[in-house]
Amino acid sequence: MIRHHALSGDLWLITVDGRLDQNVTPDLEETFNELFEAGHTKLIVDLSGATYINSGGLRCLVAAWRRARQHGGDVYLCGLRSRVNEVFSMVGFDKVFKVYPGRAEATAAWQEAV
Amino acid sequence: MGLRKELSVPGHYDQIRRLCAFVGEGAREAGFDDDAVFQVELACDEACTNIIEHTYEGEGVGEIQVTWQINTDLFTVIIRDYGPRFDPSGIPSPAVPPDLEDIEELPVGGLGVFFMRRLMDKVTFDYHQGKGNVLTMVKRRTQDEELP
Repeated sequence: MIRHHALSGDLWLITVDGRLDQNVTPDLEETFNELFEAGHTKLIVDLSGATYINSGGLRCLVAAWRRARQHGGDVYLCGLRSRVNEVFSMVGFDKVFKVYPGRAEATAAWQEAV
Repeated sequence: MGLRKELSVPGHYDQIRRLCAFVGEGAREAGFDDDAVFQVELACDEACTNIIEHTYEGEGVGEIQVTWQINTDLFTVIIRDYGPRFDPSGIPSPAVPPDLEDIEELPVGGLGVFFMRRLMDKVTFDYHQGKGNVLTMVKRRTQDEELP
């Protein structure tokens, strides 16, 4: 399940729960599109509830990361469980994204960045 | 021949979880731990997603048949489709690890096949003229087994 809400200022949080596979990735894509179209490009994706990710989920996150950066923002990730982290590190994407242990650390990093 | 089970489903994305659970059940039966079961399920997910995306080029076009088999040393997953030939050499290989100097151009194609090869010990693609593709993925049940 995908949910999103505003944090402080122009920072938005997206939470992913359950399996981020082909059933759920279109909802995540739609959420990113909605936020980008509204001009919100500073994002945190909280994956602490995500128990699974496949290559389609990774592609969706990378596409959003690229689009956010093109518009002066970024996509920070937090709360990766060990198996999800394993999938990221297998393809080296853990070095591409800024990844934080939890929502508080990711939020603090954004506050320092702006 | 060891224990063997088979499941056929229509080629829809919402059926892939069912196939993954089916293969995961076999992997557990073969004695794999939770991490290895996760790897087998992910490889199966990527294979079935590729079939819908690249072979059938859409949902509801054809069936996917998955068979798992446990032998003394090996766990084998065979995935069949009934579409045109899938040529894995036509799929670009992802840059792994990605070039961090040029990450704005980060290519993300070919990750599915990359994961399948990375997570399983042996992956082969065969095409049977007019009958479709047969993908065979093997994972060793013991680390010392040599694969032919």
